[in-house]
Amino acid sequence: MNQDFEIEESTSMNRRDFFKKTATVSAVAAATILAPSTVLADDPAIMHHPKWGTSLGDECNANPYGLPSKYEHNVVRRTSSLMSSAGDMHAAISMTPLHEQKGIITPNGLHFTRTHNGVAHIDPNEWRLMIHGLVEKPIVLTLEQLKRYPSETEIHFMECPSNGAAEWKGPQFNSVQFVRGMMSCTEWTGVRLRTILDELGLKPEAKWMLAEGSDGSEMSRTLPIEKVLDDVMIVYGQNGEALRDEQGYPVRLLAPGWEANLCVKWLKRLEFGDKPWYAKEETSKYTALTASGKAIQHFYALETNSIIISPCPEIPWTDLKVGDLVEITGLAWSGHGTIRGVDITFDGGKNWVEASLKGLVLPKAWTRFSYMYRYEGKPLLLASRSYDDSDNVQPTVNQEKKVVGVEGVYHRNAIHTWAVSAKGEVNNVQIRS
Amino acid sequence: MFKLDHKSIVIGISTVASTALLLTGCLPSPSNANEAKTGASATVGSYNIKNKTAIDGGVTYERKNGEYAAYRYNEQSTKGVHFGRTPTANEIAAWDVDARPDGLGLPEGEGSVEEGDELFETQCASCHGDFGGGGNGYPQLTGGNQDKDKNGIVITLKNQRLKPGMDAPKRTVGTYWPVATTLFTYIRDAMPYATPKSLSDNEVYAITAYILAQNNIEIDGVELDDEYVLNAEKLKKVVLPNRHGFYPNIDGPNGPANVKAFFANRAKNIGSGTRCMSNCKDPGMDGKTEATVMKIGYEMKDVVPPYAYTRDLPPEVEDKTVTKGEKLYNANCKVCHATDAMGAPAVGDTEAWTEVRAKGFDKVLYNAVNGVGGMPAKGGNEDLTPSEVRDIVEFMIDSSKIKN
Repeated sequence: MNQDFEIEESTSMNRRDFFKKTATVSAVAAATILAPSTVLADDPAIMHHPKWGTSLGDECNANPYGLPSKYEHNVVRRTSSLMSSAGDMHAAISMTPLHEQKGIITPNGLHFTRTHNGVAHIDPNEWRLMIHGLVEKPIVLTLEQLKRYPSETEIHFMECPSNGAAEWKGPQFNSVQFVRGMMSCTEWTGVRLRTILDELGLKPEAKWMLAEGSDGSEMSRTLPIEKVLDDVMIVYGQNGEALRDEQGYPVRLLAPGWEANLCVKWLKRLEFGDKPWYAKEETSKYTALTASGKAIQHFYALETNSIIISPCPEIPWTDLKVGDLVEITGLAWSGHGTIRGVDITFDGGKNWVEASLKGLVLPKAWTRFSYMYRYEGKPLLLASRSYDDSDNVQPTVNQEKKVVGVEGVYHRNAIHTWAVSAKGEVNNVQIRS
Repeated sequence: MFKLDHKSIVIGISTVASTALLLTGCLPSPSNANEAKTGASATVGSYNIKNKTAIDGGVTYERKNGEYAAYRYNEQSTKGVHFGRTPTANEIAAWDVDARPDGLGLPEGEGSVEEGDELFETQCASCHGDFGGGGNGYPQLTGGNQDKDKNGIVITLKNQRLKPGMDAPKRTVGTYWPVATTLFTYIRDAMPYATPKSLSDNEVYAITAYILAQNNIEIDGVELDDEYVLNAEKLKKVVLPNRHGFYPNIDGPNGPANVKAFFANRAKNIGSGTRCMSNCKDPGMDGKTEATVMKIGYEMKDVVPPYAYTRDLPPEVEDKTVTKGEKLYNANCKVCHATDAMGAPAVGDTEAWTEVRAKGFDKVLYNAVNGVGGMPAKGGNEDLTPSEVRDIVEFMIDSSKIKN
């Protein structure tokens, strides 16, 4: 029996627990005599009243703005000097802990964050939005006035087009957080831009819209009118509350399914024009250099993509026994439309089976997939491949490389493979020539 | 424990076999396999498509009869909703300072290469390196070979690091950037990095001139020597070497249509996948060689905060504003002593505690340890040590004194 162990353990408990514990151990000892072969060591977590059950908890509203359990303190965004300029974290990016992602909604505090000149802290009382240029009636709005417009709420993923960019030339990070964490998915609330434009009167020669932020980098991008009039929103709400500073408080642009960089944060100004602006972040950056030596510009929609999250390097199968039935699950998403399905391979892409989608299946949003797998304790090359309702299918590493090369930085969506060892360890690999 | 669903064993144990049962060969395109339903009763994930050829190569969805994909919306007209006001001409002028490649929006002013040289040294070189040559981890602005091949492609941009040790494509203002007005607006709005918008228009023209000069750019066939003075008129004439290195063509009235045509041909232009289900060959391979499994060569572990997956308590951060006595009081005594409702002297009630204190500290402490009146010994928590009880009593007395 583990009597010694249990008594030693109990020294950290209070005296009342100690006496109860001693009595329990005696009872267990008696049971051992009766049926020694069937008795497992009793779980102290069950056998003793825990501290939280024998004391008064915190006051009901001790945290007027609730916080995660202290035990979840490792569930945080992470970054790396590789994701910054010379280790300077004002122009950097932090990654969502995808291995801890539940469902399809990312908590606001874990939403990935990209900044070009630090996180701006805007006084909402001094915030203004100006809409002008090729409109009949230019307008300037305060935050209260913007919120007077009828609101709409949609769930969309937000992804940095650099997501996975560290791995064009081969795998680098043994962590799903760093392999794919430059993305999140939340519920956004705001005003459909078209609702405002219908009133302002867009002039027929307006072909492009400049969206400009008010942070130190004055982040700006050009969007085509077709998208603006379809589903672009000016959002101030995220998962039921105001945007976080890191997400552009008080207001950012939302271009569903498109580069998060186009969803300009700390939004200040929308100007309509007949020609594109050639802003810095749509010329020197956010253009994808291909093997031809020319670069794709105005690369808008994020491609069909998917990643298996369980298992992953952070959540390996090392605790499984041969024969265990286990769920393989992950996220699929497409900026082109709605995920139609996800296939899974166990042999590195030779043969595929169809996974099930589960939960909400929404346009331009994370979609969960699931597959029940009987664990065999054999090495696997495990990967997922998504497809969407715009006929887009996720390419292999080699298919993507063949068309765009390895220096493009942006829009990488090749099928991602985890190597599962015979012991259940999970490692990041690529199947490539 | 091993009650298994027979069907799932089959699928789980032999993926190849189950694949063979379900599917053979390549499937038709997914949209054919799952036609979008029409009418108001769309099933989950299958929505009424409005446009199959949107500008981004994707689809758009119908907004009709109060339904938009998975969402419902209010169909009532929003025509006439108008909040906000017309901006003044001065307000528009204050914010509308962007400049386009055609020069529209460039301000008056001028600056020479020489002035730019001095400014660059004090304001820019600490990050961008001497002469903009990089080296400090921030973007390199100058340098790189601008030579072109016979098709007019800047040669360095064709570099592909397919194997370790190969040269990277150099992306500087001279080799990569398409237009020079971007340089002006970006420096004026976003630079210097820590103090953006601190430079005058003249200073921005000077720094722009210096960076163009360092990249050996000529304007109207004229080299930018130290005395060269840049202004709006000259800046809009700059043609950077890689002006035509980008596609699709977004310029002119056909810009948006060009973009749409480009993204419509995704398989050719971007690289789409194919949905083969069994005995698949990697379509990205030549069919002769096998792809290999590439493992991580050098693992990037330099992450902040460091990787950690345990569910334990974080390292205790001492809250200096809360004393040990107050913490213990909150946990053990506050439930009765917060108000006088329980008959105990309420903490903060100076009158009640003047009476308690009159007994002398030792007596109060003795009562706290051994119980008094309705209060059990140590307030009912026998695990408190005498020194902990002392901390609590000190806190309670202290908090109930008349504050000066």
